[in-house]
Amino acid sequence: MAKAELKTEQKTEIEDSSSLKGTLASVFFLGLFIVITWVSVYMLFVERF
Amino acid sequence: MINSVSAKVKVDPKDAKVSMAHFYVAFIALALGGLMGLLQVLVRSGKFELPLGIGYYEILTTHGVLMGLILTTFFIMGFQYAAVSKTAGTHSNAARRAGWIGFWLMTIGTLMAAAMILTNKASVLYTFYAPLQAHWIFYLGLTLVVVGSWVDGAAQIMTYAKWRKNNPGKPSPLLTFMAVINTVMWIVATLGVASTVLFQLLPWSLGLVDRVDVLVSRTLFWYFGHPLVYFWLLPAYMAWYVVIPKVIGGKIFSDSLARLTFILFLLFSVPVGFHHQLMEPGIDPAWKFIQVILTFMVVIPSLMTAFSLFATFERYGRSKGAKGLFGWFKVLPWNDARFTVPFIGMVAFIPAGAGGIVNASNQMDQVVHNTIWVTGHFHLTVATAVLLTFLGVSYWLVPHLTGRKLTKSMNKLAIIQGWVWFIGMTFMSVAMHLEGLLGGPRRSSFSTYGNSQQALDWIPYQIAQAVGGSILFIGIILFLIIFINLAFFAPKGEEEFPVGEAENLEEKAPLVFENWKLWLGITAVLILFAYTVPFIDIIQNAPIGSKGFKTW
Repeated sequence: MAKAELKTEQKTEIEDSSSLKGTLASVFFLGLFIVITWVSVYMLFVERF
Repeated sequence: MINSVSAKVKVDPKDAKVSMAHFYVAFIALALGGLMGLLQVLVRSGKFELPLGIGYYEILTTHGVLMGLILTTFFIMGFQYAAVSKTAGTHSNAARRAGWIGFWLMTIGTLMAAAMILTNKASVLYTFYAPLQAHWIFYLGLTLVVVGSWVDGAAQIMTYAKWRKNNPGKPSPLLTFMAVINTVMWIVATLGVASTVLFQLLPWSLGLVDRVDVLVSRTLFWYFGHPLVYFWLLPAYMAWYVVIPKVIGGKIFSDSLARLTFILFLLFSVPVGFHHQLMEPGIDPAWKFIQVILTFMVVIPSLMTAFSLFATFERYGRSKGAKGLFGWFKVLPWNDARFTVPFIGMVAFIPAGAGGIVNASNQMDQVVHNTIWVTGHFHLTVATAVLLTFLGVSYWLVPHLTGRKLTKSMNKLAIIQGWVWFIGMTFMSVAMHLEGLLGGPRRSSFSTYGNSQQALDWIPYQIAQAVGGSILFIGIILFLIIFINLAFFAPKGEEEFPVGEAENLEEKAPLVFENWKLWLGITAVLILFAYTVPFIDIIQNAPIGSKGFKTW
């Protein structure tokens, strides 16, 4: 589970090691891929039937 | 997490023998089934004809039954048996006896079904839809496979119950919990196929009754057929959730999330079979709609899994100093077959899942139903995501059980095997998806359909499938070389059975997850809700049954 994050006012070069930014981006890509696949085949359906 | 407290370092040798027995049958099925798959893609390319009057549908049935039913069930039971022994403690003598009885029942059943298929008395494909009628020995053989798997499952449940008794008030070890969920789901699901075989297909194939109600038998089949795919998938999820974090040196993102995922699969896997019957007349569309909604509920635990795995990888990567949005991806242990081979499977599950959502949507099913798109779809799910995970598990589990080591050279060959599979499947599955969108049928031998232009347009895709299928067959040969090495020839040593720990050890899984009365109760309510009314409808409005057909 998410650990308490240390927040400082100054910008530091060190990235938070518990960051899940990449995970968030990955699941967004995944969702987008599903939506694109679904809509593409739906367009085929609309065109054909 | 208390996995480590009760976990043994090694699976007991007596339990190891039970698991290995399952794996021998599983991988003999893989070898034979793979050869049949190769023959199929060659026939469908239009460049090759089967010798000696062997029928296309005979090899198609052999491929489907051996790969979809035998390889999977034997591997899963062997893997889960070992996983329970490792995490909940060595099986008792009674449980081990159950393991052996289950194994032999399944093996005898397999031999009976295989004998009927190979003598061309049961070319009914792996779905054995009525009114295609196989020899009764085929149905009896499949019944023994199912009954054997119940006895096998009972062994796991006995050891789980013993652990619970000895550890009151504690959540069971995660791998054991997952194995038991999958076994329970399997028992609930197989009641459907057992009913159609015992009450419809066996009496009908024995000539005791003349006719069979086709829609009832297909509905009972798909009551079983969709949870069947989750029965294949959940052991792969066991490896993804619990084994892979340990292999890469990371942690399980959340023990409770993993358990909740499995419970959601138990609840939503079964009352969804109608999405395989969307194009079938005789079922009220309102009930189809309800089951489609329930089907989409199963997307939730799969997306939870995706999130959880990405998080495990990212946390591990960042702990190794990886920077940026995707820096963690590069530091994953790509030179370790135990990680890379299942990882390729995980990647395949992304298009596989997206395709599945298309299949389950009523309108889009009209585009893809009974086309080879569907074949392309399940070759990504079961034949890549699941299979590559099973092979990746074998690369450490087989030497663990036989007291040998996965050597560097075998590890390298295993990674090559995974990539060969990826390349072959990309060719074959992409070509199948595209041909399906152009209307190319599944379950059909090569034909130009009177040289119609549409059918001629399919041929290049069928040639691509033959290329892909041939590469896949090389992948199977590579695997078999590694398996034989690990089982008989690899140097003696200790190979780890990797069992991951949760990131947050203070987070104890809620005990409500082990409340079987609650979960089985909800499962039963959902099944009764989704199936009672439409089933009464199907039976009350049934047409006269069908006589048996033998088209081969």
